[in-house]
Amino acid sequence: MSSGAKTARAGVVAAVIPPAGTDLIEWYYAQGYSDGFPLVPPTPEKVAAVMAALGGDAQQLLCRVPPRWGSLTREVLAINMVMAGCLPGYAPVVEAAMLALTAQPFNLNGVQATTHMASPLLIVNGPVRNEIGMNSGCNVFGSGNRANATIGRAIRLMLLNVGGAWPGLLDKSTLGHPGKYTYCIAENEEQSPFAPYHVEHGYKAEDSAVFVLAAEPPHSVTNHFANDPPGILDSICSAMSTICNNNAVSGGHCAVVLGIEHAQTIAKHGWKRHDIRHYLWTHSGNLWKDLYCNERYGKIYNRTLPVWYKREPDARTPIVPSPDNIHVFVAGGEAGRFSAFIPGWGRMSSPVLRALGGAPPAGGANCVDGTCYL
Amino acid sequence: MHDAVTLEAKGLPTAVIITSEFTLEAVTQRDALGMTGLDAVVIQHPLSSLTAAEIAERVASAVPQIERVWLSGKAAA
Amino acid sequence: MQTQLVYDPRGIVEAQAMGLAPRIRKIDGLRLAILDNSKWNCNKMLRGVRDELQNKHKFAAVNYFTKDSFSSNATPEQIAEIVANHDIALTAIGD
Repeated sequence: MSSGAKTARAGVVAAVIPPAGTDLIEWYYAQGYSDGFPLVPPTPEKVAAVMAALGGDAQQLLCRVPPRWGSLTREVLAINMVMAGCLPGYAPVVEAAMLALTAQPFNLNGVQATTHMASPLLIVNGPVRNEIGMNSGCNVFGSGNRANATIGRAIRLMLLNVGGAWPGLLDKSTLGHPGKYTYCIAENEEQSPFAPYHVEHGYKAEDSAVFVLAAEPPHSVTNHFANDPPGILDSICSAMSTICNNNAVSGGHCAVVLGIEHAQTIAKHGWKRHDIRHYLWTHSGNLWKDLYCNERYGKIYNRTLPVWYKREPDARTPIVPSPDNIHVFVAGGEAGRFSAFIPGWGRMSSPVLRALGGAPPAGGANCVDGTCYL
Repeated sequence: MHDAVTLEAKGLPTAVIITSEFTLEAVTQRDALGMTGLDAVVIQHPLSSLTAAEIAERVASAVPQIERVWLSGKAAA
Repeated sequence: MQTQLVYDPRGIVEAQAMGLAPRIRKIDGLRLAILDNSKWNCNKMLRGVRDELQNKHKFAAVNYFTKDSFSSNATPEQIAEIVANHDIALTAIGD
């Protein structure tokens, strides 16, 4: 390395080289690249290791990240992964996640800029989870696991740096939420009594896939008294049936994460994923009159909600327009009768499911146990 | 901003109304899309919670800017 | 001591420079397309603007289009229709 050398690749290596002995952690803070936590200073060796895991070709353009529309090349992705603290082996997951986030239906432009607190939630399925040591069990939404923490962080660093969505400037989120540091989990396929999420959507169990949803934080659902599916699911319905979650007024998609104990009780009664989603959809919702305080501020129509919702005082308004808009996962530790309801942003963004490597699903939902309703 | 850039690029003078809270984002978007000359019509934030009278005020402030954008490309007088 | 290489995580912004459409000389006699992105109160404001503009100018036509969701672009079909049959456009709320 020669000192003071101008960069050969604009945008990758800074033209200004700090003097020897500079504290690089402070230097990167001073550049304004940090999410608030210290960045790992990249070295050529670390970046090269991630590039190798990506398959080389540093200048390959993966996508552009809104709202700045910065070009995310493999090299820029590698730099952000190293800064986040990722191991090279996480690369296929991070790459797949960025491609899913920048897919048109997700509308990342809107998610980045909105005043709502929605932040991309990443859920990983398939063998890659264990290959890279992700946590799908106890404390799955919490800290303590390098893969979960740094994969989610790498994504956020790219949304900030490549996408330009800095709080107050282009990210207008009024409140934000802790998921804007990192929001990444794995489904607990091993302890789930149901088929994995990606299998329900037509992939093979041996495929690995990422799912992204613009999401509010998880809302805990406690239920320690019920020992049958309706009892447990009624508590989740209760969590869903609030006028303040964004789905209630904006439609769209939401997620439900079933804890292991809840999932196993439900499965013991022979219920499948299909039954769960339909029960939740059918038995949750708000009365139209409650959504807008009984016309206290005048008659509100709300064109964001489907035209087929009745705008009559006692009409039941679903939280989301269809049971297929409820995305069910099983995760967490073995002890504790808790699940979580995770509202989404609304119809302005659709979740995206993408296999690592981008292969489409084998075709249709797999039928197991003699039924196609998983 | 995307729609406005698309329409201008296809030959239609376009006035795009934004609220004052989103001026930086509008500039960033139009620059990122390459149309640095696109000037937006700016009305005071917010819009979603206004009364009819307040909406009328926003209308009054927007109309002259719209006319100027169509005729000269610049919203300000 | 060796100098340390530093990295820029932002990637570059590649934008192809685009000019504006040629400006009009007068507003009367033109066909106006209004594109509403269906955000709350946007339609009330746009209707007010439309009415005020129609009080001041004689348009050959005024047509109103609504986007499917306030956060996505107009459809290619909407864009094509607006471009084909109008001379000027008004959109709100750009965000």
